Order: sequence, then C-alpha cells, then structure tokens
Amino acid sequence: MLRRIRRGRASLLIALCCILGASLGGTLVQAEDGTAASYNYSFWGDTVASPAAYQATALLSGPDLGVGPFKEPNDIHVTKDKQIYVLDSGNNRIVILDERFKPVATIDSFDRDGQADKFQNPQGLFVTEEKHVIVADTGNKRVVHLDQHIKLVKIVEAPESELLQAHFQFQPVRVVMDEAQRIYAMATGIFDGFMEFNADGAFTSFIGANRVYVDPVEYLWKRLSTRAQRSQMVMFTPTEFTNLDIDDEGFIYATNGDLWGDNIKKLNAQGNDILRRTGYFNPQGDVRYTPEAGPSRLVDIDVADSEMYSVLDSKRGRVFTYSGDGHFMYVFGGIGNQLGEFNTPAAIERVGDDFLVLDKALGEITVFQTTAYGRTLNEAVRSYYSGEEEEAFQLFNQTINMNANLEFAYAGIGKSLLRQGDYDEAMKHFKRSMDQPNYSKAFLLFRKQVMREHFATIMTVIVVLAACALLLRNYRKTSVRKRGVSIEQRVD
Amino acid sequence: MSKEWIKYPLHLIVHPFNGYWDLKYDRSQRFNLIISFTVLFLLAVTNILSSQYSGFLVNLFNPNEMNSFLEVVYVVVPILFWCVANWSLTTLMDGEGKFVEIFTSTCFALIPLVVVNFPWIWLSNVISMQETAFYYFSNSVAVIWFMFLLFVGNMTVHQFTPSKTIGILILTVVAMGFMAFISLLFFSLVQQIIAFISVIYQEIVMRS
Repeated sequence: MLRRIRRGRASLLIALCCILGASLGGTLVQAEDGTAASYNYSFWGDTVASPAAYQATALLSGPDLGVGPFKEPNDIHVTKDKQIYVLDSGNNRIVILDERFKPVATIDSFDRDGQADKFQNPQGLFVTEEKHVIVADTGNKRVVHLDQHIKLVKIVEAPESELLQAHFQFQPVRVVMDEAQRIYAMATGIFDGFMEFNADGAFTSFIGANRVYVDPVEYLWKRLSTRAQRSQMVMFTPTEFTNLDIDDEGFIYATNGDLWGDNIKKLNAQGNDILRRTGYFNPQGDVRYTPEAGPSRLVDIDVADSEMYSVLDSKRGRVFTYSGDGHFMYVFGGIGNQLGEFNTPAAIERVGDDFLVLDKALGEITVFQTTAYGRTLNEAVRSYYSGEEEEAFQLFNQTINMNANLEFAYAGIGKSLLRQGDYDEAMKHFKRSMDQPNYSKAFLLFRKQVMREHFATIMTVIVVLAACALLLRNYRKTSVRKRGVSIEQRVD
Repeated sequence: MSKEWIKYPLHLIVHPFNGYWDLKYDRSQRFNLIISFTVLFLLAVTNILSSQYSGFLVNLFNPNEMNSFLEVVYVVVPILFWCVANWSLTTLMDGEGKFVEIFTSTCFALIPLVVVNFPWIWLSNVISMQETAFYYFSNSVAVIWFMFLLFVGNMTVHQFTPSKTIGILILTVVAMGFMAFISLLFFSLVQQIIAFISVIYQEIVMRS
C-alpha cells in the first residue's frame, strides 16, 4: 500500500517536472530565437507565422572596433570584396573595415590642389566596383569623387541650369554612381526626382520624379478659397525620395516617403518605374498596420544579387526583403533595446548573405546572419532566378518543410513540376499558391494529356451511347406501333 | 400533374408574358408558392455550392469566410426587402398585384440564375483561363434574363404600362435603400435602449 502511494508520488513528481521543464523549455526557445518580428503575409492579407530567417549575432560600436565612437553615422556601403565603408557624419570621416570588422583605414581629409580638404556633415556614401568613393558632402554643398587611392577625381558643385530655380540650394544627401560614371544624387528640397550628373560632373537632367497626390477634400477647399487664402495653404508637391541604390545592370532602386501608392521604385534610364509587382501585395513594407501607426516609412534600400532587394522601415525598425518578382520573403528587426533591435535605424547593407543595420542615434552596427531557413530560402530564390529548375525544386521543398505558410514557394515547386510533366501535382501546387495563370497553363496541359490517354475510351462510350439511344428510339417506335394508339394517350 | 412542377416554371422563363399571365389568373396560389419557395431554396443551394465547389480560376474564395447561413440570408433578405418595397409602392400607385403575386413573380424571375449558374459550378472546374470568358458571359446573361423577367413579371402582375413599370422598379430600389436605413436606425435605437436599461439595472443592483 505504502509502496503504491510512494510510486504514485514519484510519478506525480516526474509529471510535475515534465510540465515545468516543458514550460521552461518553451520560454527558452522563444527567448533564444527572438522570432517575435518574423512573419509573412498570406494571399488573403492575414499575418501568418514564419520562422526567423535572420538572427542578430553581433553588435559593433566604434570603441569596440578601435576607431573611436561613431557620431551620428548616416550611411554604410559594402563593396564586392566585402569591405565595409561607414560614413561617420558627426566626425566627418569615413571608416573602412574589412570583412572581419577590423579597421583598415580612415578617410577624414583628401588632397585638393595641394591642400587638405575636409568633409562637413556628409550624409551619403557610395563605393563603386573599382572602389572609387563618392561622398555627398552635404555641409559643403558638393559631391566629392575620390579614386581608390583617395585621390581627388572631381568635385561636383552646385549646378547651374535653366531647370533649377534661382535661389536653389544644392544639398546632396544620397549618391550613387553607375558604370558609365554618371552620378545620381538625391538632394533635399528637390521634388523633380534625382539629379543626374555626367562623367565630367556636369548636371544633365532630373529623372524619376514622384507623382503629385492631390487630396480631394483639400482640392475642394482650394477651389472654394480666394487667391490670398490659397497662397497660405499647403502646395501640392510630389514627395521626395528617401534613398536610392543601384544594381549591377544600372537600374536605380529608390524608396520614398509616400503614405499611398508605391513607395519602392525601380527606375530605368528614362526614369520609368519598372519594378515587378507580381507578389500577393505590392512591395511596400507592412501591409497590415493600425491607422494610428500608419504605413511603413522606408528610409533605405539595398539591392542584392538575383534581383532580391531589402528595404528598411524606420518607423518600426524592420527590414523587409523581396524577391525580384515582388514576393515578400522575410522580415526581421524591430524597435527596442535587445540585440537585433534598433533605436533609429538609418541604413542597411548586405555583406554576402549577412545584413548590417546601422543605428544612427546609438552609433552602432548590428550584424544579422541567416538561419538555416533563411539560407535555404535565399538559395531557393537564387536558383529559381537563374533557372536551375531541379535545384530550385529541391530547395523550395526544403523551405516549405520549414515554413508551410510560404505560399509563393509552392508556385516555384509547381513550375518545376510543370517542366517535369507532372501536371496534376503542378496544378495542386499552383492552387496552393493562388497562382491562377500558371494553374490554367498546367490545367490545359493536364486536360490535353487526359484526353489523349483516354481518347479511345471516351470515343467508345460516346459511340455506344449514341447506338443505344438510336436502338431505344427504334424499339419504342416499333413497340408503340404494335400496341396501338391507346397507349400513347396514356403516356402523355 | 407531376411533370407540371418542372414544365411550368421552365415554360414561364422562356414565354414570360404568357407565363406570368397564367401565374396571376390561372394557376392556384398554393402551387405557385411551393414552386417559389423551391426556387429560393435552390438559389441558396446554388450560391453555397458555387462558393465551395466552383473552379479555382473563377472562384477565389477564402474558406475561412465561408458561411452557409449567411449565403441563405443574402438570398432571402434582399428578396423580402424587394417584395415589401414593391408592394408598398404599388399599393399607392394603383398596382393590381397582391403581395403573394409579387413574391411569386419575383421568385419565378430567379429561375434563370439557378438554371444557368448551377451547371457552371461543375463546368467551371474543367475550363482554362481563356475559357472563363464564357463563364462570365453566361453569368451576365443570367442576370440580364433575371432582370427582364422581373420587369415582365411586375408589369403583368400590376397591369402597368412598360414605362410605369420601369419607373416603379427604380423607385423600388430607392425604397429598399430607405428601408435598410430605417431598419438600421431601428436596431441601433433598440440596442441603445437595451444598453440603457441594463446600465440602470446594474446601478440599482450595485447600490442596494
């Protein structure tokens, strides 16, 4: 009896431990991967759970790196060989780090006609493939172009053009340079788009102006008011861009502060928006938000390989990544005090598959590295982009094993199944990813296949049915004739 | 007689002038009512089935929002509103139709919606995207047919001229809007009163 009670107690104790352990383990797991900010959007616009694709692994500050504290750093740039250029605006310098975050050099002045020239509150930085450094030297109202040995190539001063207003102030804040050495600058107070300078540093034109949005109510009031009143009102001006980046093919990716419409653009040489928006939602940051908080405010964009691009939302501190087709891949980050959260994120940059996020107020750089899920998804999108069907099929299958909610991955699987000739399965996958055009393609092929396979059966059935119908008709006619007219009346 | 149950409604939708005349003067009311309710039921069933089983290419439907009860409500409530609004107007404007006649004529007009849409539930599963044009085309044909029947039905039942019928139909839609507004107002007022009473009750209970 006693033993039984004791045994009962023991089992109770074990059970209790199990429960405790489970709950502890649960919280531990949550704390470990910090997946609070990881989600995706379903076709229906619901927020669905998603595993974390990135994890914050390190926090770099000036003193840790041995270059003294950063003061309001504004921009960051990474070259192909993974050298990291940090624009330390408050200290008027550029700090260069290697891929292991060891300081390589610091640029705080350059040689101009034999004299040392300095930056003054520079806001934007760009490094070309030949490691030419372009700096938007905002305080000095100029753009400085240095070569790989920090020798001055040219200085772009305030341009003179009929296109510009008389009291125009040239305050460049972000710059990029394309392969033809044209400089595109984003300047404050300019609503006409980016300023394009040719290789000699002469101003050529504006490209890619945002459209004006007219609030209907505001417009009505303006119509009703007098000219004197109107002059006191807010003007309808296009919104300014907030940042830009350039990809290998010379297309400019830009973000703007619009609260409506498309806040991410891909501009071609003519300034037309050619961003593909074939995802479930147009790339725009958060799709669901409270009316008080409002939509995402995108402040930086970074283009990676395979047309993937990431944008930074300064309002909620999140980094959104989209594939070239406009599918939302993953999100990470947030505003807060923990590792992997920011105070005032200002810039993002990709180092291979890792991310660097620059925090302006704290002067710190957070390093994010992929999880297994993030790696697989990146690779899947890459192989899909480069047309490696078989590999994409494998990788997408792995991704959906880790995240069944990733709807666009099913379309990737479906496409490769379609190539393999498995139309039935392809249809199922397209249906899961809500891809009607591709479903239709698969369905047409499937229908043709079924028709071909069962042509003999179908035709036989039709012929037999027709014969039966004929026979029946004949039989009825003859039987009616035999039995006479009286039956016919009864039938009707 | 048993064949009549099917033959008569199908005859009516292709010969609406004769059919509605029969409906008003020749057929028994019980017979008409049974067919009317059957049509209503079939329409509700068609709507439910089509939201669940229509082909993927013509039917993007969130299964989380599927609610069969609401589908029934979407059929019955507008019809009821329509009949009440139409009856209220036509009694004031010398219409000869009784409420039952308005109701049966409206329900008979719904038959094309069932007859055309029901086969398409299954057919839409074996069409490609290019062929969905046929689906949308026949849907619109069904709706136009329905409106034409509604027009003829109203005209015959009330013995109106065509122009007056069109006027009445438009006015009926406006009246439906008014009715919806008034019922919303009524419900929100009732809600307020109930809330008021319950608050008073709570206060009394708390104080004593």
